Amino acid sequence: MSGAGLLEKPQVIAHVQQSLNYTVFECKWVPCSARLLCLGSVPRGTGVIQLYELQSGRLSLLREIEKAKPIKCGTFGATSLQQRYLATGDFGGNLNVWNLEAPEIPVYSVKGHKEIINSIDGVGGLGIGEGAPEIVTGSRDGTVKVWDPRQKDTPVANMEPVQGESKRDCWTVAFGNAYNQEERVVCAGYDNGDIKLFDLKNMSLRWETNIKNGVCSVEFDRKDISMNKLVATSLEGKFHVFDMRTQHPTKGFASISEKAHKSTMWQVRHLPQNRDIFMTSGGAGSLHLWKYEYPAQRSKKDSEGVEMGVAGSVCLLQNVTLSTQPISSLDWSPDKRGLCVCSAFDQTVRVLIVTKLNKV
Amino acid sequence: MGDQPVSSLWDQGTTKTYQIPINHLDYKFIENCTDVKHLEKILRILRSGEEGYYPDLTLFCEKRIECLAPGSRALRKDKPPASACDFTTEEWEKINDEMESWVTEMKEDEYKIQFPVTETLYERLDNLPAVRGLNSCLHVGQSKENKGRKEKNIPRDYREWDKFDVEKECSKIDEGCEENNSKECFSINSCLPIIEKSIETTGMTKQERNFIANREKEKGNEAFAIGDFKEAVTYYTRSISVLPTVAAYNNRAQAEIKLQNWHNAFQDCKKVLDLEPGNVKALMRRATVYKHLQNYQAAIEDLTKVLHVEPENAIAKKNLSDIEQKLKDLDPVSEIQTKGKRIFIQDIEESDGDEERRGNGEEHKNGSGDKSKTGVLLRGKIATKSEMGNVQKKFSSKGDGCMSERQKKRNYTENTVKKGILEKKTPEHTPDHEGEVNGYLNNGKKKNENEVKETTISNGTESSPAGKSISNLLLPTAAKLKSEGNGLFKNGQFGDALLKYSEAIENVINSGVQSQDDLSILYSNRAACYLKEGNCNDCIHDCDRALELHPFSLKPLLRRAMAYECMERYRQAYVDYKTILQIDSGIQAANDSINRITRTLIAEDGPSWREKLSPIPVVPFSAQLRQWDGESFTSESKQKKTADFRGDRQSEMNSENSEERFKTLKNEGNECVKEGKYKEALMKYNECMKLNSKECTIYTNRALCYLKLYQYEEAKQDCDRVLQTEDSNVKAFYRRALAYKGLQNYQASVDDLSKILVIDPNIAEAKRELQEITQLLNLKSEVGASSQQKQRKKIKIQEVNESNEEERRTSLSEDAVINYQVAKEEAENSVPLKISEKLVISEPSNAYEFGQIMYAVNAKKDDAACADLLTIIDPKKLPGLLSNKLEGDTFLVFMRALGCHILGKDPGLVYQHLLYLTKAERFKVMLTLLSKNEKEQVRQLFDSLSKKQNHQFSVEDLENLKRVYAL
Repeated sequence: MSGAGLLEKPQVIAHVQQSLNYTVFECKWVPCSARLLCLGSVPRGTGVIQLYELQSGRLSLLREIEKAKPIKCGTFGATSLQQRYLATGDFGGNLNVWNLEAPEIPVYSVKGHKEIINSIDGVGGLGIGEGAPEIVTGSRDGTVKVWDPRQKDTPVANMEPVQGESKRDCWTVAFGNAYNQEERVVCAGYDNGDIKLFDLKNMSLRWETNIKNGVCSVEFDRKDISMNKLVATSLEGKFHVFDMRTQHPTKGFASISEKAHKSTMWQVRHLPQNRDIFMTSGGAGSLHLWKYEYPAQRSKKDSEGVEMGVAGSVCLLQNVTLSTQPISSLDWSPDKRGLCVCSAFDQTVRVLIVTKLNKV
Repeated sequence: MGDQPVSSLWDQGTTKTYQIPINHLDYKFIENCTDVKHLEKILRILRSGEEGYYPDLTLFCEKRIECLAPGSRALRKDKPPASACDFTTEEWEKINDEMESWVTEMKEDEYKIQFPVTETLYERLDNLPAVRGLNSCLHVGQSKENKGRKEKNIPRDYREWDKFDVEKECSKIDEGCEENNSKECFSINSCLPIIEKSIETTGMTKQERNFIANREKEKGNEAFAIGDFKEAVTYYTRSISVLPTVAAYNNRAQAEIKLQNWHNAFQDCKKVLDLEPGNVKALMRRATVYKHLQNYQAAIEDLTKVLHVEPENAIAKKNLSDIEQKLKDLDPVSEIQTKGKRIFIQDIEESDGDEERRGNGEEHKNGSGDKSKTGVLLRGKIATKSEMGNVQKKFSSKGDGCMSERQKKRNYTENTVKKGILEKKTPEHTPDHEGEVNGYLNNGKKKNENEVKETTISNGTESSPAGKSISNLLLPTAAKLKSEGNGLFKNGQFGDALLKYSEAIENVINSGVQSQDDLSILYSNRAACYLKEGNCNDCIHDCDRALELHPFSLKPLLRRAMAYECMERYRQAYVDYKTILQIDSGIQAANDSINRITRTLIAEDGPSWREKLSPIPVVPFSAQLRQWDGESFTSESKQKKTADFRGDRQSEMNSENSEERFKTLKNEGNECVKEGKYKEALMKYNECMKLNSKECTIYTNRALCYLKLYQYEEAKQDCDRVLQTEDSNVKAFYRRALAYKGLQNYQASVDDLSKILVIDPNIAEAKRELQEITQLLNLKSEVGASSQQKQRKKIKIQEVNESNEEERRTSLSEDAVINYQVAKEEAENSVPLKISEKLVISEPSNAYEFGQIMYAVNAKKDDAACADLLTIIDPKKLPGLLSNKLEGDTFLVFMRALGCHILGKDPGLVYQHLLYLTKAERFKVMLTLLSKNEKEQVRQLFDSLSKKQNHQFSVEDLENLKRVYAL
């Protein structure tokens, strides 16, 4: 098995597996630690947050916190490394910010949406992204709301469909372009394949497109730089990579798409240490590791002399199948290159090591 | 194989799914088929097993596809995660160990720091940008086009079809503003994003800084990788602003090189080399910068250094030969070339390590062809203008970006553009001049070689006469081996030198002769070889042995320190460097390293870094002296100087007797002190001590130098020594008091000062110092340990004042303090400081200086000096200089000086001074405090002034002024 070619490529090792007795929706590394969180729903219909620590090749449970509503998603994106408050979105449409040292009462709480919060993202904390800390939530009620933990009860920005229009289920949200104090965008993906890019500085819709199938996950390669790339995964097992550097007035952003999984692509996550490498997780329990390769020229002039972007290509570095059930969430460790955790609907959380990422 | 006859039976059939002829499922067909699509189909059939199960054939087919199209999707198979069996045991262990150590590290950090919420955190929160505009709401409609394109989305409701028209209306409106938006955004696109150059780090923990610095660096690397060098520089700058690291500087240097900001790149390389001397990458980059700045000599030096460390570094070799070639071509600036043309030189560099970059020159020419041309063409004067071709990055399909190749294209334009002689003609010219040119070339080459050699020598070990004299004592064999070793070392053959030294050591040990010094030197030399080879462990080992045999020997200490530093064992290195500085404070390399290491240690351990150090050994005095007896040392840059100096000294030694020599050196030392060159002075005095270690003046003088250099411990030692032989030397007491003050040993300082006052109660400096230190002592006892920081600061300022004052005094009296001291010593007068010299006054530039002079004047009651002072000062400036310090004594001194000394010469000036004195801040107050007697003095002055009529003032003026003086 150990041929030369195999050794060159990154390998995915299942370092630790941990079975859980509840449905886990999201798993997250606690920044600057060897701990991770699992967020989910216990069979009796309440929410649960479990804190695990990696200890000599296994996960030991440090803490379990039960909450009233099943928790769908969480992020550390809008908190400082000193505080490390967790922001969660639950089935009841509540946004809560927890101090994990004292999780009884949330530090911040708001009933943000009428329905389940599908997705959450944060920026401005952890040294990632300039400017104020903000949390964005996307919900089934069709709205995307931006919250500032310093402002109670009301969102600082609210992106909702025009009156009377049908409400699309927003499945995913992501921050980006936060390279200075003013600039910031939110990208949202909807169940009908719409991708919308909201410019928070100008409070405008900067760009939108449709990738035909429901958008399961969007992510910028980095939040804290001038928009570079955006990856969007879809229900039909395809993903699209948009080059976000050059926007054409009519054509928008250049993109390429790649079909990989035979089923829904649930998640995409970029390697924090290298923005050009990302992992996608699939409905058939598979993980694909990709690398984006830039074209020789990132932009060119069209016939009218207007700049337009040129998409590069993606190459598959590795793929593994871990389970028969969908892998619903994925998170790279911000501290250790190649360490990642994923959770699947087989009620298992797995810590993976991806080797040789520094040589890719 | 066996399949062959069987498959022929199925010739007529086709497969069920793709209707492929059955006979295509065959080794031979697959081997020859080049249609990937077709092969993929075959593979799918084979995998499905619908035509039967052929594992070997499937594998064969896969291999064939892989060979034709490695990226084919058909090759993607579901794979289980890798496990132990996919790796070699070592790899597997390495992966697990790495993970284990990371987890431990993380946990340690966690427990150690527990992320204390620093107070500044809240401040930081306050500094955040304001909350976004209240509840801004963005109503988003779906645009028409998108509607049209939507064909197949899974969860879709039917209502939207009913509402089609409504939406159309909405989307029309939205489209309008959307277009505006996108245009706006587009313009944003084109202008450069404004990214802050630095990151606010107040209140961040060390871990946060690390994290952020790392992140910014990674961003820089990514930007670099896609050729966005400006952005890369920005992010590296940000990273450095949070936490300066060698890697970030190094990477920024590379990015600056790409941007052709040679100066910036140079600065960055310099920073790296300051932080980490001998950093190969930085040296390489600096060489590149030098090369582009046409400083070929320096480039060669750097590359030579690189090759010392990495003799196999192919790029360095290549660059070196390139540059040498260029240099050769440059030297004969004969005007053979009469035409200007562009030449493309292609130099290929590789950068390895963390930056993972690869690129190809956009339009690179055939290297060899060009090179041959270059050889000829470059003989003209090269390029006042040089430019680098655009470097363009191209990524190859294979994903191992580790070895990157950068191909640069440089254009040289010759500046002698006279005639348009065709390129072809050039070679014809050449033979005519060949002899000449070759001559030049050889010269050039020789020069190069010499210089390279020089560098090597300056890196070398014992080459001093003293070293040789010692080697005479060695056994003949060992001595021979040693000199052979020395020779090899000079030639840069460190490995061979090492063997020689080892043999010599063995020889000495076996002979059983007790010659510790020789053995120590041999070990020390071998350590040098190890150090050059980068074998730090053995180097340290040898240095240890050398030091055992000969404690406080400078060179082994220096080498050990360097080795420790290389191994990042900064604490040990720090202790060693400190020891070195005790022996000889003039070693620049040690001083630099101390500074560098201190920074590193502070960054690592925080303010309490000193606590983690092992105690610094106190160097016995004998060691300090001996050091100066016979070894050559000091940093590379200084080495030549020292050697020269040594040479001078030797020749002088022959012509002069040692006493004269002693005097000269002392005077030179004194000169240096006058000029403020304390380090040089220190060296001179050290030399003096070699000749005569009994002279106390030398020690007191050296103590002064140490004080100036803030080396209080050493200063104290010198004073101690003086006081051993001469127990009432006031200078020594005074300087020791200052040293104690510097060492914050206030009590001892106070003791010393009181002793001075016992010897001579009139010494003003001592009184003042005593006051100050007593205050400090009180302060210290009051505030306690918590305010250490503050106190230290305060002392520092005072120390500066002190040195100012001393400096001023030195400049004031033509006989510098030291000379004065010498004179005094010679007269064997042990009750000093009865200052008989006249103060030489220079014009004070500020109130402080003025105050200092007035202080001296008051102390000596020297009216004449005061008169001098008043003569040079512009009366208009007097109030400013006095500020609020006008006291009765000062006023009276003024009056006396004006009356006795100036009045006779320049009554106008006296009037002016009297006039402007009234404008001084405390004049009125002072006036009321004058006694009758003193008022009488003033009146007398006015009376005598009125007798000396002058055109500069009238009688009325004087009367008015008198009134102001309340007379």
